[in-house]
Amino acid sequence: MSKAPATERKAAQPLVSDPILGYAALPGVADEMLDARGEIKPVWFNLIARLSRMSESELHERFARADRYLRDAGVFYRTYGAQGSQGTGERNWPISHVPVLIDGDEWAAVSRGLVQRADLLERLIADIYGENRLVQEGILPPQLLASNPEFLRPLVGVKPVGGHYLHFCSFEIGRGPDGKWWVLADRTQAPSGAGFALENRVATTRAFSDIYAESHVHRLASFFGAFRQALQAHKQHPDDRIAVLSPGPANETYFEHAYIARYLGFMLLEGEDLTVVNNRVMVRTVAGLKPVGVLWRRLDSSYADPLELDQNSHIGTPGMVQALRSGSLTLVNALGSGILETRALLAFMPTIARRLIGEDLMMPSIATWWCGQKSEREHVAANLERMVIGPAYSRLPFFDDYGQSVLGSGLRETARDAIGDWLEKDGAKLVGQEVVTLSTTPVYVDGKLTPRPMSLRVFAARTEDGWQLMPGGFARIGSGDDVSAIAMQSGGRAADVWIVSDGPVAKPSLLPPEESFTRNMPGSLPSRAADNLYWLGRYIERAEGALRILRAWNLRYAESADPDAPLLADVSRYLKSIDIEMTKAVPAPLLRNIESAIYSASNIRDRFSPDGWLALNDLAKTARRFHEAVQPGDDAAHAMTVLLRKLAGFAGLVHENMYRFTGWRFLSIGRYLERGLHMTRLLGHMSGPDAPDGALDMLLEIGDSVMTHRRRYNVSTARLTVADLLALDPLNPRSVLYQLNEIRTEVEQLPNAFVNGQMSTFYREAMRLHSGLAVMTPEAMDEEVYRKLEAEMEKLSDILGQTYFG
Amino acid sequence: MLYDLSLHMGYVYDVPASGARHVIRVLPLSLPDRQRLVAGAVTVTPTAEERTAFLDFFGQQATAVLVRAPHERLDIRMQARVMVEPPAITADLSPEIGKLKDELDGLWSVAPASPHHLTGPSPRLPHDPVIAAYARQALRPGQTVRETAIALCARIHKEFTYDAEATTVDSTPAEAFKIRRGVCQDFAHIMIVALRSLGVPAGYVSGFLRTIPPPGKERLEGADAMHAWVRVWCGEATGYLELDPTNNIQAGSDHIVVAYGRDYADVAPVIGVLKGYGNQKTIQAVDVVPVK
Repeated sequence: MSKAPATERKAAQPLVSDPILGYAALPGVADEMLDARGEIKPVWFNLIARLSRMSESELHERFARADRYLRDAGVFYRTYGAQGSQGTGERNWPISHVPVLIDGDEWAAVSRGLVQRADLLERLIADIYGENRLVQEGILPPQLLASNPEFLRPLVGVKPVGGHYLHFCSFEIGRGPDGKWWVLADRTQAPSGAGFALENRVATTRAFSDIYAESHVHRLASFFGAFRQALQAHKQHPDDRIAVLSPGPANETYFEHAYIARYLGFMLLEGEDLTVVNNRVMVRTVAGLKPVGVLWRRLDSSYADPLELDQNSHIGTPGMVQALRSGSLTLVNALGSGILETRALLAFMPTIARRLIGEDLMMPSIATWWCGQKSEREHVAANLERMVIGPAYSRLPFFDDYGQSVLGSGLRETARDAIGDWLEKDGAKLVGQEVVTLSTTPVYVDGKLTPRPMSLRVFAARTEDGWQLMPGGFARIGSGDDVSAIAMQSGGRAADVWIVSDGPVAKPSLLPPEESFTRNMPGSLPSRAADNLYWLGRYIERAEGALRILRAWNLRYAESADPDAPLLADVSRYLKSIDIEMTKAVPAPLLRNIESAIYSASNIRDRFSPDGWLALNDLAKTARRFHEAVQPGDDAAHAMTVLLRKLAGFAGLVHENMYRFTGWRFLSIGRYLERGLHMTRLLGHMSGPDAPDGALDMLLEIGDSVMTHRRRYNVSTARLTVADLLALDPLNPRSVLYQLNEIRTEVEQLPNAFVNGQMSTFYREAMRLHSGLAVMTPEAMDEEVYRKLEAEMEKLSDILGQTYFG
Repeated sequence: MLYDLSLHMGYVYDVPASGARHVIRVLPLSLPDRQRLVAGAVTVTPTAEERTAFLDFFGQQATAVLVRAPHERLDIRMQARVMVEPPAITADLSPEIGKLKDELDGLWSVAPASPHHLTGPSPRLPHDPVIAAYARQALRPGQTVRETAIALCARIHKEFTYDAEATTVDSTPAEAFKIRRGVCQDFAHIMIVALRSLGVPAGYVSGFLRTIPPPGKERLEGADAMHAWVRVWCGEATGYLELDPTNNIQAGSDHIVVAYGRDYADVAPVIGVLKGYGNQKTIQAVDVVPVK
């Protein structure tokens, strides 16, 4: 959103039809808001009337509400490449605030066309992986399958359990100059965007809650509700889990995977969470292996099983194809369904439709010619200026293929001859597609509504009552005024799509009716999630420990300005022993600790509130800034205090908001164990008889126990009182014994704490460690004891890993 | 010819492996008028906790096993008795190389035996312009598909050196081509890429060679391990021809077919995924003995 020149005059003056003043459709181009005569379509009346009564500042305020929502909700998608040194980056969801309005009756026609298409695609894939009648009858050239990287031979003849290959599809559609809709691309592999559409809707209603409420806009929730119900019905056993299978946090739409899993209440899993046992797919959880019956796959088919598909895949589950052959798993969509996205297939859709469903396509696809056939090739060569030429086997639509396709009209005469040769030689690998013109929709640019090209992404889900379309979806908006579809590839924004009816619409919700209320306990925690939660706890606590030491060091340095003073030099040595080299006031290893915490958290985004995530990222951002600018001494001590406060903010959010279940326990155990280790190491290093002057006071300060010490012991700091308070006091939340006690309490609540009525190894070790320390006296606490204690705590961590994360 | 076959593939791990899943493709095929599997069995030690047999797309019997418990070595053994018929001698009915495309275009099938699967590229064999240029040099005007394939086979045999140390199982044809060295797998891959670049469908054959030659004949190269050669589609009338570029011969009654595929990836005798660290050592021993 560009900043508006919100001058006093403009702010005070209502716009009064300003936004549409001068708005006109581009010549020869259909517009969503205006009809062929240039009149505003009835469905837009109210929105435009309301917009025109708003002052510019009000409009900006409304837009800002939407932006704030998206920011706070943490909506992002990942971008690859040109992002400076980072390589990849998270990009905010680029919302275009003015929704696209479509009349309910028109939408009904669109729905019929796309439902027909979804049915057709189902029959097509059943033929491709089944009888191959289309090839045998000379309708579908065999090369399009045999040379197609998405034709997955191990899946040939594998009938999906339940009978259907496709359960969730999306379509990219555009409106031509004659006002009719065209299908630009089918998405069947792992269609993305449904979650973004939901967030888009929420954000847009933040901006226009009043207008939304008074317009009869179809709601999105029932679409997801029906699909969730359909997936539930696919479970073969009541104990089966349903999960979203993600390629992981590096994927560009990972946010959406986590979002959908959270929204629908499914597990979010990655390939390594799963294992196949006796032909059944199981998830590794902290309570053992649990069966998975339905996977909503957001991972490309070929990566799903390194044993039978792409052998180089590191994100798959070996044996998954075997499980599919045995019919124990429903995949949304079936492995191999990516083949339906093959661009060249579009050329054959009209004939395929007549053969497979005996009907013509209600909504045509963009005109496509496969250049492996002579007459088609000649047609493309003769009509180059109306064509886009691109790879036949590409699964990406030509406006999204990172420049692999060439525009015929953009070629010079000399290049055209070369294209002719190219078509002749490599025809089978190429398609020509007609350059379609898209419709425009009003977008708010620099204070007024401006026509911009758009296409719609529409989602279809197979429910118990057949295919159901999401009433809306989102519109992709081109960044310039070039209305040829190919221009959509550069940049662009996304707008909400409102399907508006004359009368009131049903307002469903995802919640079941009240009388059927049941309290479902959270499902078993996947081992990998537990592992990440545990390490998140450890890294956070490790950062806190380091911050406390660094603050104490800098406070003293501010007074003496002598880093070689015995105490400061000693603490520097200690920091070095835990890999913190003090080359800068805010040292790089501290940043790495925080980055590691963020990495662990990023693997479990679905278990995290957006608030916690923002707090963590804010901490990292501040730490990076301090790292560059802060000087040792007072400045640094203050910086540490700021960072500690931010860290406490994150810890507080987690503490206040996280559901007290298994996940919480692993996070807590991580924190307690790291805090215990931190204090044990420090005591071993700083409380010996030859520790430098002031070491004991500094220890108390790092352990946040100065006041307590003063209150409890009527003597000045001494080795014994410090050991008593920081190691052995069961009531001091910073003492080692306190941590061990808390760990023991948490462990009791973990799954499998008892095996056949006996304590598990981990439980027994935690008990032993706790009682061993509880009976110690301050006199006995020497360096040797601390060293042993440290080693035993490290061992406890290993046993935890073996027991729950293996 | 009746053969007794035995194969031993052993994997010795530095650090014990666990949760090992393997798909094994080592049993000879039964092929009408060509080869008959009289009896055969695959054994795995330690004993697999799970074991499933299935037919893959190209018709090969595959065995999937899971050895969950930690193990320091894994041994896969195959024993089989196979009857092999000498190939019939046929006239060259294959079309001129330029006419093959029309025959191919007239073939509306994606059944496993369809040559359309072998036009490339395939997982291990992308198009390679250098090998394509090499293939074009071998082309003579008016040559039939079969003549071209035989000439290419002879040329690769002549210009390449058999060298078990020069390449590994993961080497690409481009690497082997550059150094003009390699083993049966490399030669087969190079010949396949070359043929495909000329528009001739070609695929990979894995199998065994008779270990001890008949009296008075030379021992064939590649008999001490699993072998690989090439199948070439020579048009509808001729069908497939199998050529062994490592030995510059047509596959005959000394060649026993285990699997057909597009390239090594489709037919690898063992594909495995396991949990483990460190290195592994591989042992392979083959015995192919005529039954007296």
